[in-house]
Amino acid sequence: MAFKFFPLTRSVCVLSIASLLVTGCGPSKHEGNEHGEEPKDSAAPPIVNINGQIFSIPSPVQTAMLIQQSGASFSKELLNEPSKAANYQTTYDRALNLGVYGADLGYLTIYSENNQALAFFAAVKKIGDQLGIASSFDEKLMKRFEANIGKKDSIISLVSDAYRASDAYLKDSKRSEVGALILAGGWIESIHFATAILKTKPSQEVQNRIGEQKTSVNSIVKLLASFKKPEYDNLIKQFKELSALFENIEMKYTFVEPTTQVEKQLTIINSKTEVKITPEQVQTISDKIASIRKSIVQ
Amino acid sequence: MRKSISLLKFVFIFIIGLTFSKASFSQCDTIAKICNKHVKLPFVSDGQSYRSLLLNDQSAEFQTTFYGGATYRLAGCSGLTDGNLIFTLYDKDRNVLFTNASQKNAPYWDFKVSSTLDCIIEAKLNPASGNSSGCAVILIGFKQ
Repeated sequence: MAFKFFPLTRSVCVLSIASLLVTGCGPSKHEGNEHGEEPKDSAAPPIVNINGQIFSIPSPVQTAMLIQQSGASFSKELLNEPSKAANYQTTYDRALNLGVYGADLGYLTIYSENNQALAFFAAVKKIGDQLGIASSFDEKLMKRFEANIGKKDSIISLVSDAYRASDAYLKDSKRSEVGALILAGGWIESIHFATAILKTKPSQEVQNRIGEQKTSVNSIVKLLASFKKPEYDNLIKQFKELSALFENIEMKYTFVEPTTQVEKQLTIINSKTEVKITPEQVQTISDKIASIRKSIVQ
Repeated sequence: MRKSISLLKFVFIFIIGLTFSKASFSQCDTIAKICNKHVKLPFVSDGQSYRSLLLNDQSAEFQTTFYGGATYRLAGCSGLTDGNLIFTLYDKDRNVLFTNASQKNAPYWDFKVSSTLDCIIEAKLNPASGNSSGCAVILIGFKQ
């Protein structure tokens, strides 16, 4: 039997229910459900009924790396203003913009814009404190950040590890929805980079990368919707509209047997995915991304 | 009398749940910290931590996208030692791309991806480990 990776707190609830059954406190007189139907599989533990799903959203840093590799120049105009960090007053706005600033920080670091990166790190730290995840963005990290200025790989690794630590902390403290907003904000910012760059420096690889977001945008919709928070409704609506724009992008997948090099602990994935995305589709997606981002960073 | 018994049951379950909850979080945290050692430079974390409590033969899974041109590292841990978690990578059509079960339950494996693909990662406890339950932690790193 299989179930999805889901926030740990739900597992705990399920196991608490399981403990109830183990101790004989379950509904012993009525084995069926409220409609009087017998369970389909009486041997199945209740955990399989949990429908929480966690989707993996690719790191925004990866898209920033692709943009730099495409030969595009650094553009400060693409970034959110770090001074606006003080304007975000709700958990919702703060979480989304923590994702945005994280992607900006990755972009700045990849382009070795170290002085500006410090200002963005300060914005990240400020919002992290306000969201109660100060331990992931503490003074110690700030000092390590400053000590590693100029070492691009180390900085990217430090920041990514800090985001992973905050993701873990939020999941453990029943605040997965905050983690989901951070992911959504980071994703929007990285695709904003990609769509904006295409206007000044056309690149087939970057264009394909936009098309390859078809699954990720669907995952974000499902992830945000899973929390059933009315305050997310408008954001979910916008992401659904965005998702609809991806619908007609053709993705042809061909499975090819992978090859494994045991001595290197490496498997080479030989399967191919062909993406067909037109300039018109890129334009409509670009406009929608700009609109969603504006509503987040304003 | 019935009310008293119900209250006692509730308190008992609450205490069990609370105790289990704290122990579980602590267990997952410890495992995640151990697992972190497998995703270090030149690999960069994707910024997420995937965890699930598993019982017996249950498995957990999630979807992700691997971008072309990158090499990914998948690390899977449960318990305090390596080899307690079996993880399998499928493509979206459920073709098996890799399983560490055929590689002595290696705690991590790298994947060189030439063309972007959507995939599914499945994890389950190694039955040979003798653990009937445990926290499964999966971490993803990448390098360009």
